Amino acid sequence: MAGLAFMLLYSTGVIGLLATGFTLRYWSHVLIDGQTWISLAYSALLGSASLGASLVLALALQAALGVRLRTGALRGLLFLPMAIPPIVAALLSVQMLGNAGLLSRVAHAAGLVARPEDFPALLYTPAGLGIVITHVMLVTPFLLLMLDRIERHALLSDLEQMARTLGASPWQAWRRVCLPVLLRAGAPVLSVYLVVLMGAYEVPLLVGAQYPSMISVLIQRRFSQFDMGTRPEAYVLASIYACLAAGLLLVLFAPRARRSAQEHGA
Amino acid sequence: MIRRALAWTLSVLLVMPVILLVLLSVARHWTWPALLPTDLQWRQWQELTAASSTLVAVALRSLGLSVGVAMVATILGFLSSRSVARHPRQGQLLVLLHLPFAVSPVVLGVSLLYAFLRLHLAGHIAGVMLAQLIFAYAYAVILLSGFWNSQVLTLAELAISLGAKRPQVWFRVLLPLARPLLFVCLFQTFMISWFDYALTLLIGDSQVTTLTVTLYQYFSSGDIRLAATCALLLLAPPLFALGINHRLLSATVVTRLEAQSD
Repeated sequence: MAGLAFMLLYSTGVIGLLATGFTLRYWSHVLIDGQTWISLAYSALLGSASLGASLVLALALQAALGVRLRTGALRGLLFLPMAIPPIVAALLSVQMLGNAGLLSRVAHAAGLVARPEDFPALLYTPAGLGIVITHVMLVTPFLLLMLDRIERHALLSDLEQMARTLGASPWQAWRRVCLPVLLRAGAPVLSVYLVVLMGAYEVPLLVGAQYPSMISVLIQRRFSQFDMGTRPEAYVLASIYACLAAGLLLVLFAPRARRSAQEHGA
Repeated sequence: MIRRALAWTLSVLLVMPVILLVLLSVARHWTWPALLPTDLQWRQWQELTAASSTLVAVALRSLGLSVGVAMVATILGFLSSRSVARHPRQGQLLVLLHLPFAVSPVVLGVSLLYAFLRLHLAGHIAGVMLAQLIFAYAYAVILLSGFWNSQVLTLAELAISLGAKRPQVWFRVLLPLARPLLFVCLFQTFMISWFDYALTLLIGDSQVTTLTVTLYQYFSSGDIRLAATCALLLLAPPLFALGINHRLLSATVVTRLEAQSD
């Protein structure tokens, strides 16, 4: 909260190295700048796409692998991506997905490409494919472990079995019984992940396009520019994003917090 | 059969990043389209063992910083988590504790920088530590608030009714019960600091160099071999933890779920 107050004071020219007294010109400049809204929408889009793709992949792998997730080497290996920080994940993406990366070399060995330029561009593209793929690689194992844990706690196999004995097909039992339980129980974690992915910094910095840029990258760029005059604008952007992210988190968690207060009071 | 093949494929995919980093760190020549390095060299790993190595100094600085953050966050988090767990508005407080994670490290770093500059904390390791503590402390409280269940509180009350003094309750009852979770908290908060890049960059003001900052510098300058070496050093503590006990890492899955499902 103190940080937000500092940002608001800096962004309105009250404090700071070039402060000249209260002004809203930095706010009006940022608010009418199309790049602000493009960056916010781009962050929301890539954050949602990363989480959505990770969730779909995790659900598919859980359905396909079942109890194998808890046996053998795979059980321990699923924790491996949690040991990888985002900056290392970005480095790995460059080395794997780049034009001269490992995938491109495998494609050449398979006779699919003749030169590095023939390999499709996955990194530094405005579509943000590299950002989404890197996040999916990082997040999917975590979600897979989370879904597996929910499955064991909620005794999903028993519920599924009951649905089957009542005449549901395997697909109906999964879609109508298992999926809602998994999504409801996983909602708090998924909510936090969505907000975290929207504010991601290291991965978009290293594998993202120059334009459009995700909001954290845009804020850092405005903040670090040689021209000190852009610094209050960075504070405006940071204030807007902080309010939006905090608001989103509060909206996503409000029903849960209310329920907790009621239970505590009962 | 298909399930088995899928499990094996997934296992290989999960291990591949670490193998790739090892190969990158020792490759002298690895030009396209070779699938494996054509020439290896071990120079930087040999230099790493030399006392004068820059990377060793950076790694030790990062280690000291992260250990400090982990210890302070765990101690403060343990003390605060009791109040949070017993608070009638526990749910709301836990939501508020998620705010630092929601606003992203860049926004938090930018918001803190002006105050830190005025307090002469920017550009110093103490400033970076303080900034990282905001994240680590919030995480510690979220994680440890799950410890204070009715069973633990009943045991503490029982000890008091049997004549135990307050320090005895803490040191003889609560701390032994909390020890496994405190170790998990120490490790997780260590990781928050160990993996941090954005806060160190902004608050450290290019004066504080940690492994993540060094990795970015090597990456930007195109020295992939040294960047991969840095990456492997960054991976060493969590991989070591994974080797000795899954629980240290699985806590990320378990506790986030439990803390947030109240």
